[in-house]
Amino acid sequence: MITREVKKSKMNDNKVVEIKNLIKSYGAKDFQTTVLKGIDLTIYKNDFIAIMGPSGSGKTTLLNILSTIDKPTQGMVTLDGHDVTHISNRELAKLRKDKIGFVFQDYNLLDTMTLQDNIALPLALDGAPAKKILDRTRELAAAFGLEAQLRKYPYQLSGGQKQRGAVCRALITEPEIIFADEPTGALDSRAGKDLLHCLCRVNESGQATILMVTHDPHCASYAKDVYLLSDGMMKCRISRGSDRKEFYSRIIDLQTSIGGDFA
Amino acid sequence: MSVFRLAFMNFRNSFRSYLSLVLSLAFTILILFNFQNLIYSGPFAVLGGHNKQYIDMLVETVSVVLGCFMFFFLWYATNVFLTRRKREIGIYIFMGMSNRKIGRLYVIEISLVGVTALAAGIGSGALLGGLFQMIMGAVSDIAVDVRFGVSWKAVNVTGVSFLAMYFFFALKGYWNITHSSVLSMISAARQNEYVRMPKTVLSAKAALGAAVLSAGYYLANKGGRQSMLNNALLAVVLVIAGVYLLFGGLIPLALQTLSANKHFLYRGQRCLWVNQMVFRMRKNYRTYAMVCIVGICSVTALATGFAMKERYHNIVRFDNQYTFQLLTNQSGLGEKASALIGGAGDIACQTSLAALSLDADHLVLKYSEVKRVAQERGERFDLSEPADDETVYLSYQMLMSLIVHEQPVPVMIGGKAYLVTRTVRDAYIGYMQREMGCFYVVSDSEYERLKEQGTTLYIHNYKLADDMDFAAARAAVDTLISNTDENFTARVAVDPFDNDTDWIKALHSLCIFMFLVFVVACGCIMFMKLYNDSFEEKERYLVLRKLGIPSGTISASIAQELLSAYMLPFAVIAVSAYFSVHALGRMMYTSLFSIYVVSTLAVFAVFVLCYMLSVAVYRKNVL
Ligand SMILES: Nc1ncnc2c1ncn2[C@@H]1O[C@H](COP(=O)(O)OP(=O)(O)OP(=O)(O)O)[C@@H](O)[C@H]1O
Ligand SMILES: [Mg+2]
Repeated sequence: MITREVKKSKMNDNKVVEIKNLIKSYGAKDFQTTVLKGIDLTIYKNDFIAIMGPSGSGKTTLLNILSTIDKPTQGMVTLDGHDVTHISNRELAKLRKDKIGFVFQDYNLLDTMTLQDNIALPLALDGAPAKKILDRTRELAAAFGLEAQLRKYPYQLSGGQKQRGAVCRALITEPEIIFADEPTGALDSRAGKDLLHCLCRVNESGQATILMVTHDPHCASYAKDVYLLSDGMMKCRISRGSDRKEFYSRIIDLQTSIGGDFA
Repeated sequence: MSVFRLAFMNFRNSFRSYLSLVLSLAFTILILFNFQNLIYSGPFAVLGGHNKQYIDMLVETVSVVLGCFMFFFLWYATNVFLTRRKREIGIYIFMGMSNRKIGRLYVIEISLVGVTALAAGIGSGALLGGLFQMIMGAVSDIAVDVRFGVSWKAVNVTGVSFLAMYFFFALKGYWNITHSSVLSMISAARQNEYVRMPKTVLSAKAALGAAVLSAGYYLANKGGRQSMLNNALLAVVLVIAGVYLLFGGLIPLALQTLSANKHFLYRGQRCLWVNQMVFRMRKNYRTYAMVCIVGICSVTALATGFAMKERYHNIVRFDNQYTFQLLTNQSGLGEKASALIGGAGDIACQTSLAALSLDADHLVLKYSEVKRVAQERGERFDLSEPADDETVYLSYQMLMSLIVHEQPVPVMIGGKAYLVTRTVRDAYIGYMQREMGCFYVVSDSEYERLKEQGTTLYIHNYKLADDMDFAAARAAVDTLISNTDENFTARVAVDPFDNDTDWIKALHSLCIFMFLVFVVACGCIMFMKLYNDSFEEKERYLVLRKLGIPSGTISASIAQELLSAYMLPFAVIAVSAYFSVHALGRMMYTSLFSIYVVSTLAVFAVFVLCYMLSVAVYRKNVL
């Protein structure tokens, strides 16, 4: 009880997500495959973390558990001080709505509404005043270079514009953390770069804590820290420092030392 | 694997996606089957040979209407199915199937659907037939002898006509598939580009629609003699075109404008459902327009049915105002007749008055006399005394007329011109009014003046207390009839057991039947469309849930969206039907407003039911 209290107060300082000894297995008793074999990870406010790993290493699984879409088999996951493994679905939905922003590989914008409405939707559903929604939408669109696209429908936008829009939508509720699964996966390198620059900017200006899953070293090099996931374990972690180019070559080195190219 | 096995497996494994088509086809079959039942038993069996020619005419008319209806309904249902199915089986192109093979697959699948629907339709028709007839019997005071049996003739007629039309559309689908481009088959371009139309196009459509629709409403209710039928036909065409333009123009424009106003839009779930609605309206406006037109038909049919029933009662009441009426030139005949009839049975009421015969075509009555007689009989009387150069014509209750008189018309009586200021359809002089059609009421002073010129005749009216005494009383009265040179007496006897007008009752039942057909069709079309849509929407709602939007919020948004999806057409139906029922009322010389309200409420009830069903199914499908 006491330890929990302490933890919570600490968390309020800067811990956003904390996982301890996270285990996830799939399948029935006899045919179980353990995908995550005891993972520890703490994410602090204003982190920008990239998780890399070969295909099938469990990146998406980890992200799904963190974002409360999936449940762990064992272990503890706390999100902003709430133990997400032991709360009701209703509270979970609320937590998801208030604390988490999602960015998906395939954008998932609604094709029935304009980009502006897509970005505004979470806040509107939350019952915020229209004035505030409008201001916030414009502000975010400006930050992501989308002012000119606001009145367009998704089918009129490029992939990069759609993905930046999806990030705006994730940011509009000012979540504690943003989870992004292969956000540049469907983009060409130019559009991917634009998106990552934007993510960096909002992270550096203190507006967002980001956890990103990727297998692309170039993409990962925009993060502040890169974790390597392999065989269901966190293999190592490297931090960027000031030079991105140098960081990129360190990631490549790490990749080769672990064995093989992920992409 | 053979195409046939593949088709069968598809059909078995994803029966759910075929369900809406099966149900709507089964419904059509049910209607057809019940109509056959209606012909071979039901109200028509009760009516004797008297009304044969009317009934045959009615059955023919309704058969044509039903046939057309079925044709369009099948067209629509198979089209909706084809669009969706094409996308799903289009994938087989990647597995090396040719268009023709896919077309064959489609034909086999849709045949399986048709056969299943036929079995389901006739099965449920046999089960529900009795219930259906009971409902009809309840609403249409005809003693229906309810039969639960299956008439083979009905099964045959239904099966053959359904299958003929159905396979026509199945082959049409085959043709469509074999002539489709690969791209449209796999519909990789699933992007929805019908989301927004240029404002100018919409505005033009909206303006045109509003103009056409108001022209239709205006024509439907415009006065004018003889042109009523032409007006009505033109009005129907205009209203149909107007409704299409309304849903293709004005309503999307309004919704689009609403969704552009962010202060309106960003309020809770509105952001979600208004946008969905705009999208849906652009995509489905033809369906909505069709639902509206069928809905207007259903309200009008029910209103016609109710009006027929009311009119039937009025006609019967009019005709039975008096059982016997005598028109004679002898002054003392009244007492004699009274004694004779009284000998055969009790007299409930008897009245007498004088009339002036001025020429062959006109019998003139005195205002105060008519008033006295009406009051003695207990008939409503609201005539004011005509001026000396005016007259009131006593007419009778008729079923409907396409000619609406509005201006007073002049008439020459005894060499003087009078203006007919009013035509009365109350039975002041009973059945004689209909039989002779030559009664004119003039002011008391004018009557006294005319008295010099004409011969005075006497009218005696008797109403029997008990209908059972009719035959004996008629025999007694008939002894009075004479037609010598100086004496003449004419007698009118109204047989209370006569069923000459029973065909109106059949008309009434048919109207109710048509109402049921139309209203269920309305509900079916809406339901089917939404059911189909819910499959497409699934992805969209999945996204919302991934974003962490609680299912309660999504549920509420669905309810809102479907509510407007149902209420928009309903509003159009209610407004348009008001005008069509009003026009009908003018043809029938009555105000049908209360009937309009009741009929609209009936449609509303069906819509509410379908709405609740849709919401339940929708939620189940997307959540
Ligand atoms: N629902 C499931 N049932 C059983 N096994 C699953 C399930 N989901 C994922 N797995 C398995 O878990 C392992 C990790 O999957 P995961 O999707 O997390 O990989 P990933 O690291 O995201 O790979 P990629 O880079 O290809 O996306 C895989 O071996 C996969 O087969
Ligand atoms: Mg993955």
